[in-house]
Amino acid sequence: MVKRKDPPGGAKDSHGRQPDNTRTTKRAKVQAARTIRTQPSDAALEDGKLDLNRFLNAREFEIKSLERSMNKCKAVNATRVFQMVPRAMRRRTASHNVKRVPKRLRAQARKEMLEDNTPTVESRKRKPRTTRARIRAETMRKLRYLAEKKRKRKAKKAGDGAVEEVQRRGSAVVTTRPPRPKIRRNMLNEPPKADSKYRKRQINKTWLPTHLWHAKRATMTRPSSPLWRFAIPLTSTAKCYRPTHRASGQKGVVAWDTSYMSTIGVYGTADCLERALRYLGLVQEGLWNTRGRKWRAGVRKWTGTVSRQQKGSRRDIGPATIVWNPQPPATTSDEMETSEKPKKPRRQILIRTHPSCFLELFEELLKVAKGQKPQLHVEDLRFEVGSIELVGPASTETLLGILEPFHESPEAAERHANVFRSLAGVANPASLPKDAILAFSARDPRLSYPPKRVQIPSGGEQTILKTLTDWPVEENLKPYDIFDRESRYQASRMPSQKSLNRRKGANAPGEPIKVTAADPPIPVMLLASRPGTDGQAQGTWTLLAPWKCIQPIWYCLMQYPVSTGGNPRLGGLEEQRQIAFEHGTPWFPGDFPATTAGMNWELEERAKRRRDWDRRPKSKRLEWKSLDLGAGRKGEIGDGLACDFEYLFGVSARTRTQGKPDAVSIPDAVAEAMVVDPPAEQPQSPVGMTIRQVTKTEFSALMKSGSGEGVVPEGGIVAVGLEFVTRGVAKPCARIYRLPRKGGKVGGAVGVPSTQAEVPATPEARTRDGLPVDLSEQWLSKAPNGDKKKGAAVPKMPVGVDMETRKKILAGSLLAVEVPYPKPAAGNQTDFGGHPLCPGEEDLIGFVTTGAFSLSEGRGTAIGSISAGRALETLRETGPREGKFCVVRNAGESIGWLARWEVV
Amino acid sequence: MVRLKDRYLLVNILYTDLPPSTSTPVPVPVPVSDLLLYNQPTNSDLKPQTLLKDVRNEVTSLFGDCGAGKVNHNLQVKYFSPATSTFILRVSRDHYRLVWAALSFMQSCPMKNGRPCIYRVVRVSGTMRKVEKETIRRARLLVLAAKEELKGKSSSVSLGDLLRGDNNNQQRTLPILGDQDVDSASEDDMVEG
Repeated sequence: MVKRKDPPGGAKDSHGRQPDNTRTTKRAKVQAARTIRTQPSDAALEDGKLDLNRFLNAREFEIKSLERSMNKCKAVNATRVFQMVPRAMRRRTASHNVKRVPKRLRAQARKEMLEDNTPTVESRKRKPRTTRARIRAETMRKLRYLAEKKRKRKAKKAGDGAVEEVQRRGSAVVTTRPPRPKIRRNMLNEPPKADSKYRKRQINKTWLPTHLWHAKRATMTRPSSPLWRFAIPLTSTAKCYRPTHRASGQKGVVAWDTSYMSTIGVYGTADCLERALRYLGLVQEGLWNTRGRKWRAGVRKWTGTVSRQQKGSRRDIGPATIVWNPQPPATTSDEMETSEKPKKPRRQILIRTHPSCFLELFEELLKVAKGQKPQLHVEDLRFEVGSIELVGPASTETLLGILEPFHESPEAAERHANVFRSLAGVANPASLPKDAILAFSARDPRLSYPPKRVQIPSGGEQTILKTLTDWPVEENLKPYDIFDRESRYQASRMPSQKSLNRRKGANAPGEPIKVTAADPPIPVMLLASRPGTDGQAQGTWTLLAPWKCIQPIWYCLMQYPVSTGGNPRLGGLEEQRQIAFEHGTPWFPGDFPATTAGMNWELEERAKRRRDWDRRPKSKRLEWKSLDLGAGRKGEIGDGLACDFEYLFGVSARTRTQGKPDAVSIPDAVAEAMVVDPPAEQPQSPVGMTIRQVTKTEFSALMKSGSGEGVVPEGGIVAVGLEFVTRGVAKPCARIYRLPRKGGKVGGAVGVPSTQAEVPATPEARTRDGLPVDLSEQWLSKAPNGDKKKGAAVPKMPVGVDMETRKKILAGSLLAVEVPYPKPAAGNQTDFGGHPLCPGEEDLIGFVTTGAFSLSEGRGTAIGSISAGRALETLRETGPREGKFCVVRNAGESIGWLARWEVV
Repeated sequence: MVRLKDRYLLVNILYTDLPPSTSTPVPVPVPVSDLLLYNQPTNSDLKPQTLLKDVRNEVTSLFGDCGAGKVNHNLQVKYFSPATSTFILRVSRDHYRLVWAALSFMQSCPMKNGRPCIYRVVRVSGTMRKVEKETIRRARLLVLAAKEELKGKSSSVSLGDLLRGDNNNQQRTLPILGDQDVDSASEDDMVEG
């Protein structure tokens, strides 16, 4: 075999020349391409004298020759054809296997491989290397041999009595209807029975309908540790952080198979349902008076947090989306019936919630349902209804491309389907009416596979605007099919891919398959939601469909050619978190530590962090005890690997008198007295039971109520979005401090003489714990638009002035701005290079649950939870502007950064 | 894999005197514009090899054998154009300063009766491409200036641009003092360290 790379100049033939192989010619070519042509000096001289024209020509020649050289160099570069493939399509194996290269490049790739003498490796034909693989290969060979023998024997037998056999079998075959899935009332349901081949792998968990697709393309949860009893894709195996950001905000679309979200159906009379929902915390009057009419009619959804009663207070369960099924139109026969037997019409609602809080909600619902009269029926529709979520400017387009209305004739056409078709050109589902719903019957998307790009009708802006403002979905409202068990079941009996292929084969090429009686309508429901915070961000489409229909829809969805190029991107759990973070909204359950689900998540994260930390060698992991926080403080506050709310509220219990609740209206003198108190009680555990979410509305109400009456519930936390003022990036578990009280207590009277003895040279006034008195001012001076207004002094450069004037203005501005000299000394001169010290432990108010550099903001942002009581206290003392400044310090770091919080 | 890291130096040769004209024995004082004066061609007899040798000698005399050893192994003239008095040197990245210093100390053209000249390093770059681009940019500016002169205007502005050296300055507008807080920025840097 020839060596892949000949030694340079090694192989010379008998005449001492290089052999004329491709390698030497290539080298010569490269060398030729890299030489740059030049001119002798005469070219620039006219008869030995300097001449302007000659000078000009010489320069022009130089420019040309350099440009030519650059182009030639680029052309001769050693690139292989598999490097031309777009990044997402590159495969490692493409370097040695032409079959991994797109077809149009294959010929060239083959030629290059021959030139380079690259050996092709086919994994199928590779010799087994390990003992295990060898044994396996041998077994395979033996089995193959056995199977061959068996087949031969059978063929021989069939030769004897083939005819009778067929006849006998034909009569004996009994066709059976596949059993309808059982949905039991008021009980949890079994997951769908898995294919026998895969059953063993789904003992402790359920696969999503698209599991096989995702398992090839995404990192899934570990088989031994499923998430919420599902195998959930966590993140794509390809690099996707920035592409996801782009696809979700600027161009493209990200799609998730969110079939793991749990759906619950509740049946009963309208009053009973209202009572049950009120019990679950839907107490806003807007829902039950005329303002909530559309919601109760079933043309809008409601999304919010449901809660349950617990020992005199309410405790959040988690977010839920609630949709009512519209009532059937009152017909004459119905009226007859009602006149005979006055019976209240039964309504039906669908509650869609997160799997981590599903059980809690389901049990609560059961409790409520049994208490109603007439009783409500609760159905667990977890494995009946699946869902897909889409975010991005092309989300509407993608849905339009794959969902075609089942009924096409004008008289049978559904109103919602028509409205949906008219949405072509809508770039953001948030532009739809708030909480809009569309429910209709769609055709099997495989019938028109591959999906084609949607044509946007020209001049359709007016019609779109009209549709969006009128939103004509309320006429002829019929109950939605997706609520109906029978239609869901019919939809799940879709024809097999094999039969579709057969039908397609019978058709002319390119012709779509015609709908026959074998193709059932798929009842779908589309929910448009807006992001929690600002109106600019992209909304989300949620597509609900029967569980079994999710997979074919997903396959077609992922093939849709988006008008801005490419296909929809797949998203995992990480991407969902990322997008929520970029929108500045808290993500359930990670950012809701006050719920049971959130606390469980937090505990798991803690365990994970602890495991990772334990695995590191001792010399390479953070030693929490020796962390230097400045001013003689050593050691991390609380557990460095946790959002340690236990510690936070344990501390608050220690610093306050025991009898008082976490009330905020405490006069300063009392507060001072309490600081001296010895630790009164230990933190209760588990903390999940003691902390409680305070919503944005509750918090603003408390703020308005003034210092007298508002009492924050004990252990109340409020979710906040944090934005760093100057710099800094927070990680999860970062500590949030409020700014210390201005002109804090000066120490020295009785406090701790030792600190005084240690730092006699520093003339700064220090409080009892060694922190400077003006720490708050030091931090506030870091804020860019503080009292000084440095930026305002510089005049703006007017447009279109000449250079002289510009210079004058600049000089003037330079002289006008007073830069103090010598630079004023930083507040903290002892350590951390003059950076202000972190506030003390008593000013700890909360923890960051999610934090990173936000691509949408271009700076570090974070989502965290802070103690509502302490936040209110600070806000009342220092006002709404300064009170919202805080210091965020990552766990294990000594330096904090100034940030602002905003309740979300 | 270890990658050899290089630096490419773009060097101009500047002459201050007029070329010794061969045709007229007695030089007639002809007014020569600055543009031509500072961008004279180099004698074609100068070969890249000679130039290289001279640079090496200079490095040896300045930094001794150690310096020469550091520099010599991959010092190379990638491009030498006598008509425009421009050349590009390739030096190893760690020691390009030695070569630069040597160039600064060289005072004449390395040939018999070489004219006094200055070697001016105009650009240091990590890639050949960027150096070539810079050469093109400078040549373009000179062409513009020459065209202006042909029209009879003075071209001091573009010549000044060329001689100023920092190639980014002219594209940049006046540095306007923005919101950037000078104090805090410097403090932050201190903290980083």
